[in-house]
Amino acid sequence: MGEEILRVENLKTYFFTEAGVVKAVDGVSFSVYEGEPLGIVGETGSGKTVTSLSIMRIVPPPGKIISGRIIYRGEDLLEKSEDEMRKIRGKKIAIVFQDPNSSLDPLFTVESQLNEVIMAHLKVTKQEARNRALELLKMVRIPDPEARLKAYPHELSGGMRQRVAIARALANEPDILIADEPTTNLDVTIQAQIIELLKELQSKLKMTLIMITHDMGLVAETTKRVVVLYAGSVAEIAPTNEIFKSMRHPYTAALLKAVPRIDRRKELKPIPGSIPNLIDPPSGCRFHPRCPYVIQRCIEEVPELEFTDQRAVACHRWKELSLKGE
Amino acid sequence: MAGLWRYILRRLLFVIPVFLAVTLLTFLITNAAGDPVQIVKFAIRRITPAQVAALEAYYHTNEPIFARYFYWLFSFLQGDLGTSLRGGLVASKILPWIGTTLELQFLALAFSLAIGIPLGVYSALKQYSKADVVISSIAIFGYSMPTFWLGIQAIIVFSLYLKWLPFGGAISPYPPYWGGSIYTDIIGHLILPVGVLTFVSLATFTRLLRASIVEVLRQDFILAARASGLRERVVVYKHALKNAISPIVTITGLSIGLSLAGAPITETVFSWPGLGYAYVQAVNALDLPVVQDLTAIITIVVLLVTILTDISYAYLDPRVRLE
Amino acid sequence: METSNKKLAKKRRSASQLAVVWRRFRRNKAAIAGLVLVGFVVFMAVFGSFFAPFPPRSFPCLYKGCTSLPPFQDWSHPLGTEPSGIDVYSEILQSARNDLYVGLAATLISVAIGLGIGVASGYSSGVSGALLLGITQVFLVLPVLVLILLFSRILVLLVAQGFGLTIIVLILGIFGWPGIAYITRGETLRLKEAEFIQATKALGASKSRILFRHIMPNILSPVIVIATLTVAANILTEAAISFLGFGDPNTSTWGQMLNDGFSWLNYWWISFFPGIMIVFSTLGFNLLGDGLSEALNPRLKE
Repeated sequence: MGEEILRVENLKTYFFTEAGVVKAVDGVSFSVYEGEPLGIVGETGSGKTVTSLSIMRIVPPPGKIISGRIIYRGEDLLEKSEDEMRKIRGKKIAIVFQDPNSSLDPLFTVESQLNEVIMAHLKVTKQEARNRALELLKMVRIPDPEARLKAYPHELSGGMRQRVAIARALANEPDILIADEPTTNLDVTIQAQIIELLKELQSKLKMTLIMITHDMGLVAETTKRVVVLYAGSVAEIAPTNEIFKSMRHPYTAALLKAVPRIDRRKELKPIPGSIPNLIDPPSGCRFHPRCPYVIQRCIEEVPELEFTDQRAVACHRWKELSLKGE
Repeated sequence: MAGLWRYILRRLLFVIPVFLAVTLLTFLITNAAGDPVQIVKFAIRRITPAQVAALEAYYHTNEPIFARYFYWLFSFLQGDLGTSLRGGLVASKILPWIGTTLELQFLALAFSLAIGIPLGVYSALKQYSKADVVISSIAIFGYSMPTFWLGIQAIIVFSLYLKWLPFGGAISPYPPYWGGSIYTDIIGHLILPVGVLTFVSLATFTRLLRASIVEVLRQDFILAARASGLRERVVVYKHALKNAISPIVTITGLSIGLSLAGAPITETVFSWPGLGYAYVQAVNALDLPVVQDLTAIITIVVLLVTILTDISYAYLDPRVRLE
Repeated sequence: METSNKKLAKKRRSASQLAVVWRRFRRNKAAIAGLVLVGFVVFMAVFGSFFAPFPPRSFPCLYKGCTSLPPFQDWSHPLGTEPSGIDVYSEILQSARNDLYVGLAATLISVAIGLGIGVASGYSSGVSGALLLGITQVFLVLPVLVLILLFSRILVLLVAQGFGLTIIVLILGIFGWPGIAYITRGETLRLKEAEFIQATKALGASKSRILFRHIMPNILSPVIVIATLTVAANILTEAAISFLGFGDPNTSTWGQMLNDGFSWLNYWWISFFPGIMIVFSTLGFNLLGDGLSEALNPRLKE
């Protein structure tokens, strides 16, 4: 494992809506090590996307980062000025969004959207930027890149658009690439190709990859370590190969049971109940209303994240439960 | 670009049915009473026999109504606009009318865009701030304000009581000129109509642009642009504004169309010698040849403006050309 | 027993939906302001003639030496009088009913035509649908005001006087439908392909049942919004017609008063006060329409 490159400490990001304060991220902490592929998993509304937007400091209103620290190479990003932050976005840390249909501006060509990102960080001529853009399109394996440069997003297929979005994120060879559900809006066959591409680029560029997803299968395939989020806080952190064998948080276990697996013909078990209301979250452990192992203590006391060996878990009963993969 | 040309052609073809519909409708309305010559006789009691003869020739009253419509259509298309019942050839007056109308409309449009775009952007970026609330409130006020009423009040205040500005018309018919020279006189006459029209359409633009930008700022590609480290100025003025403006262009077209079609009212208020004022007077006098031709010409002008905006929309947004 | 339970549940559901819309609407200050303004205008329309000291289009000051009175001087004529002897305050109250009547009645006609044509052109495929769409598109770009002016001039000439308002209502109604038809058509097309409609179809529901039980209720909310805005537009257009002198001179409307005021510019109060009333009512309906559209369409707001 490389050096620690990014550390999120007790991050809280709230959304101040008319209906009340939504505590989308409420005390999330984890570390990312240089060169590793890290997964962040959770259901919709677990706070994974808001966490990534918080790292970039682009949480849209009415959202606001309330407290915490985001340490990138020893410096707290939350203390940087807006202009210093701008120089980090897209240069040091970049992000690929979920839906390539909406993450590219429909009114500009591929070339102009790549150029502007390159030229926002480097003093290069238009011609140099164009060459770089061409190189990027080749890197993400877009056929006939010369012609594609002149295309508008609507002239490309969904998979091609996502490749362009990836090329844009990689334009300035960032240290960290955050991929926020990069395949959710794509066809299944295209999904596999995009994942292949990301894996290949990650190992070739020795990039730190943060893969945000709700899909445990994808976690198994692409990551070395995984952070499990539930309702705005961390449930469990573990090396990927271990978590499939022994999970320590009942939520992780439930999440794994909900994943279809080819190798085992077992009935899928959906997690009972639904993600709690984040305006008025449950007391104690936030998972307690859905947890099969709930005891009185879980309702009364918020479990701390406990670190042991290379793992961490926030559960009062993890030692006695010894949950196993099936 | 080939797509763009095909799109333009298709839009231009749309003019034909609309033009035919409007002129036929006008024709039927003016003939609804039966024989148009009888209407005119009824309304204008002191009509001369020469005028009656001119009318009968003009309308071919002894032939069926649709035949009469085609008579009109062919002479109109050949540029023969006939004779006004109040004397004079229609054709010789129409060009100056079009000129004066467009002068007023385009000045007002230019001013309302020049002021409305920055106001709308500012209002959207500072959503729910005090300035935004003030701008938005004034905007909806202006939007609900009848142009003609505002015009009357402006004339009462600035021309009648304060005596700052000349009264109606496009130019003083004889010296002394307002402000001393003929140029200041022309400008002086423009201030009130342009000001009132600008205020009203400004309100529409600001409101729509604000709504449109607020909507665009929520899109993923804005987030993506920020995440790429683009300057806030680039994010707002390049990406947000261009995306917000393309729907606005369509609405601008509609509103120019509306404003032109509303020219009868605004021009009457300011006695502005354009198409609309001429039209109201012709309708009032039941000068049917002029009415028929003016309707046709107003329709063409409105349609051309609408199509021009459609084309600029297609130019701005590459997706439109495909449809 | 079961059906009555179902009905009850349905009733409760629609009641709670209304409550949600109302809660959203209530939070919007501009919408409430619109509601208050509309309420004020409706109140004037209903009770105005009781408070009006003089009958409509009457000349109480003629031959009495109180013509051309400025406002706030003689409290028997609080808003002043016209040179012809008309009392401005009384005339404004008498006009409210006529203005609101034109606004609402013309809108009803437009909604009826627009809904019919819109649903028909959206629902029927092939030639008839395309034809209806074509007609709608042509009507959408017509220079309506120009035609309306001509229409009312000719009709007022033909029909005996006193029918003035009805004629204007008919004309406004007949020319006001294309926008409504366009929106209705779009919604119908969208709904026709919607899964729940396809499912009902698969279950063997008849065409008319789908149309009236499923499509109509879903189209209602956009139509309510545009109808509210149309009321405002109609009040404005009526005022314009009367202002230009193409209305019925014997019927009291605010536009007619503007026409008087335009002839007597020196007496500013003649046009000022009725104009304020026009602004109130159009502003009221516009704010109400905007508020309804936000309350009925939560997509636009979080």
